[in-house]
Amino acid sequence: MADSLDANLDSILAQARQAIRQAEASAELESLRVQYLGKKGELTGLLKQIGSLPPEQRPGFGDAVNQVKQQVAELISHKKEQLEVAHLAATIEAERIDISLPGRGRGLGGLHPVTRTMQRIEDIFVAMGFGVATGPEIEDDFHNFEALNIPPEHPARAMHDTFYVDSVAPRLLRTHTSPVQVRFMQEQKPPINIIAPGRVYRCDSDVTHTPMFHQVEGLMVDEGISFADLKGVLTHFLRQFFEADLDIRLRPSYFPFTEPSAEVDISCVFCDSGCRICKGSGWIEVLGSGMVHPEVFRHVGIDAEKYTGFAFGLGVERLTMLRYGVTDLRSFFDNDLAFLEQFR
Amino acid sequence: MIISELWLREWAATELGAEGIAERLTLAGLEVDGVTRVADPIDQLVVGKVVSAEPHPDADRLQLTLVDVGTEEPLQIVCGAPNARAELLVAVALEGAQLPNGLKIKATDVRGVKSNGMLCSAAELGLSEESDGILELESDAQIGQRVDQYLQLHDHLIDIDLTPNRGDCLSVQGVARELKVLADAKLSSFDVADVESASDSQIDVMLRDEAACPRYIGRIIEGLDTGARTPLWMQERLRRCGVRPISAVVDITNYVMLELGQPMHAFDRSKLNGAIIVRHAEQGESIRLLDESTATLRADTLVIADTNGPIAIAGVMGGLDSAIDDSTTGIVLEAAHFTRKAVAGAARSYGLHTESSHRFERGVDPQLAERAIQRATQLVLQICGGTAGPLCQQNNSERLPTRPPVALRQSKLNQLLGMQLDAPEVETILGRVSDTLEPAGGSWLVTPPSYRFDIEYEADLIEEVARVRGYDSVPTALPRIAPRSAAASEQTIGLRQVKQSLVARDFREVISYSFVDPDRNSEFSSEAPIRLRNPLAENLSVMRTSLLPGLIGALEFNLKRQRDRVRLFEAGATYHLHGDQFVERQRLAAVVCGPVLPEQWAGETRRDADFYDLKGDLSAVLSLTGLKEPFIFNEFEHIAMQSGQVSSVNKSGVNGQLVDLGWLGRLHPSLQKKIGATAPVLVFELDLERALEAELPAFAEVSRFPSVRRDLSIVVGQGVSAASLLSCVRAELGSALNKALLFDVYEGAGVEAGCKSISLGLVLQHNDRTLTDAESDALIESALAVLAEQYGAKLRA
Repeated sequence: MADSLDANLDSILAQARQAIRQAEASAELESLRVQYLGKKGELTGLLKQIGSLPPEQRPGFGDAVNQVKQQVAELISHKKEQLEVAHLAATIEAERIDISLPGRGRGLGGLHPVTRTMQRIEDIFVAMGFGVATGPEIEDDFHNFEALNIPPEHPARAMHDTFYVDSVAPRLLRTHTSPVQVRFMQEQKPPINIIAPGRVYRCDSDVTHTPMFHQVEGLMVDEGISFADLKGVLTHFLRQFFEADLDIRLRPSYFPFTEPSAEVDISCVFCDSGCRICKGSGWIEVLGSGMVHPEVFRHVGIDAEKYTGFAFGLGVERLTMLRYGVTDLRSFFDNDLAFLEQFR
Repeated sequence: MIISELWLREWAATELGAEGIAERLTLAGLEVDGVTRVADPIDQLVVGKVVSAEPHPDADRLQLTLVDVGTEEPLQIVCGAPNARAELLVAVALEGAQLPNGLKIKATDVRGVKSNGMLCSAAELGLSEESDGILELESDAQIGQRVDQYLQLHDHLIDIDLTPNRGDCLSVQGVARELKVLADAKLSSFDVADVESASDSQIDVMLRDEAACPRYIGRIIEGLDTGARTPLWMQERLRRCGVRPISAVVDITNYVMLELGQPMHAFDRSKLNGAIIVRHAEQGESIRLLDESTATLRADTLVIADTNGPIAIAGVMGGLDSAIDDSTTGIVLEAAHFTRKAVAGAARSYGLHTESSHRFERGVDPQLAERAIQRATQLVLQICGGTAGPLCQQNNSERLPTRPPVALRQSKLNQLLGMQLDAPEVETILGRVSDTLEPAGGSWLVTPPSYRFDIEYEADLIEEVARVRGYDSVPTALPRIAPRSAAASEQTIGLRQVKQSLVARDFREVISYSFVDPDRNSEFSSEAPIRLRNPLAENLSVMRTSLLPGLIGALEFNLKRQRDRVRLFEAGATYHLHGDQFVERQRLAAVVCGPVLPEQWAGETRRDADFYDLKGDLSAVLSLTGLKEPFIFNEFEHIAMQSGQVSSVNKSGVNGQLVDLGWLGRLHPSLQKKIGATAPVLVFELDLERALEAELPAFAEVSRFPSVRRDLSIVVGQGVSAASLLSCVRAELGSALNKALLFDVYEGAGVEAGCKSISLGLVLQHNDRTLTDAESDALIESALAVLAEQYGAKLRA
């Protein structure tokens, strides 16, 4: 009797081992667990027959069944882990995606290239200690011309094709940002170190002129400010702006509100030996500058004996064109997305 | 101005080449735009002498010439020009020559006659645009000589872009003087001998405004040869300097102007009546000018008149009725000094700009007139013959501009330039500029020459020293700048931050013109705009009173270029006239049109942006300010917007008053159609100065106790605004309400007609303890009760 039970136990274990090994899903494993270990399972059934054994054999047989039960439980649990690992691996494999597909959502807009350049200019000068000032775009003759030593009938007025406002009080659209100099010096005493960015207007429209464009004016007034300081500040600015160790050349020029006056050239950023942009000269004109004229100081009530200063004015569109290689000035104001989207 | 290198070298001896001269001038402030050779060498082009000219046997218009070019036998050449005649010296292109126009010369048969070359016209040699017959060379041409050598085609043209302060350099003499200052060039002495009068013919000169014209010199020359031709060398010089040869006398006055810098004029003696009177025009008087236009004169215009009326606008242009012509035998030459002020406004106000006005506006040497008229007389007598009368002049020397001495302190020089200069070097430089230089203990007193109008201040002399030495010798320094207070207050949002947040929300910045089309502007603003007196075009004639005309224009532009999704913004000024005050307001506006999201491969279905999408963007921008009180949106009407989909944007100000920040809305369907948009167009416009005021964050204790969220769906009439429900709940629940959100709006089946269902999520929380269920229930009950009482709200079944 005991032998047959033992034999039975062995065969159950062998069957279970076989069945568990072949199981392919956790549901199958669960039914095997029920089949062997459940309350009505085969091993439980064997245990119920223990009463038919002689009392001295019962403990031994009980132990043997329990050992088999434990073995089967371990086999199931082991197999279950195996199946889970395999399942996870299969899931991961199935969830493989094409990571090259584009991301979703809305994109990013962008600043106008002129704004981008103005911000860079501001950042460089602010880091040097300059403040930012503004002034009105509809100006009077005094601030735009007279106080800048450009009296009526001055030939320099012919170079400023001026828009006039149709109004009782004579007004014009400022032709440069220089009137901000005048306004600032009327209000504040030296030391002064500011830049003044903004829109300016000239009554002129062709391939190289738009009736509105942007300038940044600079002004520094203090005791002992020299032409050498002007050269130093502009050299620093231009090298920072173009992120290059440029050569800077000052050339005498004429602006009624500065004396001495200088045009500032940079060594060509596009070539080594002469190109279309620098007209073969190797130099590109980028801005106008000079020492504040004593007449300007007189108009704003600053003592020209005690204080000296320099001023400069740069064209934002021009610097933008040089920096990013834009070839058509007019494209700045067409506001064509195809153009604007080139600037992140 | 364009100047001939060879002409310049007659005046100034320097070892510099043409390029060297250009470089030196440029680096001293006389910017040279270009140096070009007059013409490339032309081989096989020689001077020839026509030995004989006979009609071509088989062609009416051709001549058969024999031309001596210095070879043993004269060449037979067929020529079509009527002026080919015996004894004429001509330019002969021999076999193998290549002319500037590309023509290659070969021996050919012309109607059965052999032709061994070509007699050239000025145009064929590139000397003029068009020609009338072949070029007639002068008697100094040597037979067989290279023509390019004879005509000095190796000359260079130096194009100088002069700044308006250097009117003294608008002549060969002027540039030569500059080369002396800059490069120590040696000036040739060009003394003009006085021409003695050979007749008594005189004309009275009267100066009525000696302040405007302190000096006038006239001279009568009579008995001129009407057939006199301008010599080739003079024509060439004029041509090279950009002045078109016209007739001998006119060419001579132009030549003297280019040579010395004194603008001149010549009247036909026989067309003048009585005296020459320099006076102001009578208002409304008219004159026919040389350019065949008629000017109606204003009383502030200085004219030259005879007893019949004006014969020239002083210093600008002569009159047609007194002009010399082919039959003129007697002239009155004029050399006068008109002050800068007298000429400056005049030319421009009559739309005229002449070589003469260009020079007078910039200042002509007041001492030059007499020398110029002697030089011109000399040339007239030499070229046209005749006899000259005495100088007829009126002078008021006291009214002539003078050049007061200017002091230069060495200390100021060194301080302004930021470098130390030696006194001897400064003296050498200033000595080249002026003959009158007095040292005076650490400074110099410099009397500028009469032609240097640009030297008036000490700073002018400092520039003079610096530019002669070269700006490259000025050192580079960095000034010390005192530290400044932080640029921006935290109580204002920087414009950059606003722009950046719009960029992050997929908006692109545009910049549009400040002047716009008045019709377009009036579509967006009922305010009368500021007009320009001289706009470039009608569609750029008024200053915008709103940013929308430009922004909508940019939208329209891009819609036309097949863009279906456009999201733009602009920040900038609008311009207003309040009474007599000009006011500029900084504003921000945005426009969206088309799908909320760019087209993509999966995800949300395509949906066009509506009012609430842009409101979301606007709210995000406004939230930068950190204001504790919510922004207030009220129903609003706007001329360009669709009624019922426009809102004002406000915030609460002092004493609970609303502060107007701008508005937000949907473009009126008729305007939408007009600009070709198929999807709704949404816009907002804000006043930046008001909208950017910010509040500092203020810390509040964070509750450590759990919050409870209760959702309720209530039914209210359609006219009840969501904002009023939310503010009602906020007021009722007070500090117990941590957050109220609105998560659904529904109309339709299940909700009675005329009503809508609104779902609120109320998050309740207490700072000191956990709320019990009973407390939460009570709070929600009280909220429902007040909603029912004020808005007739019912819980949705």
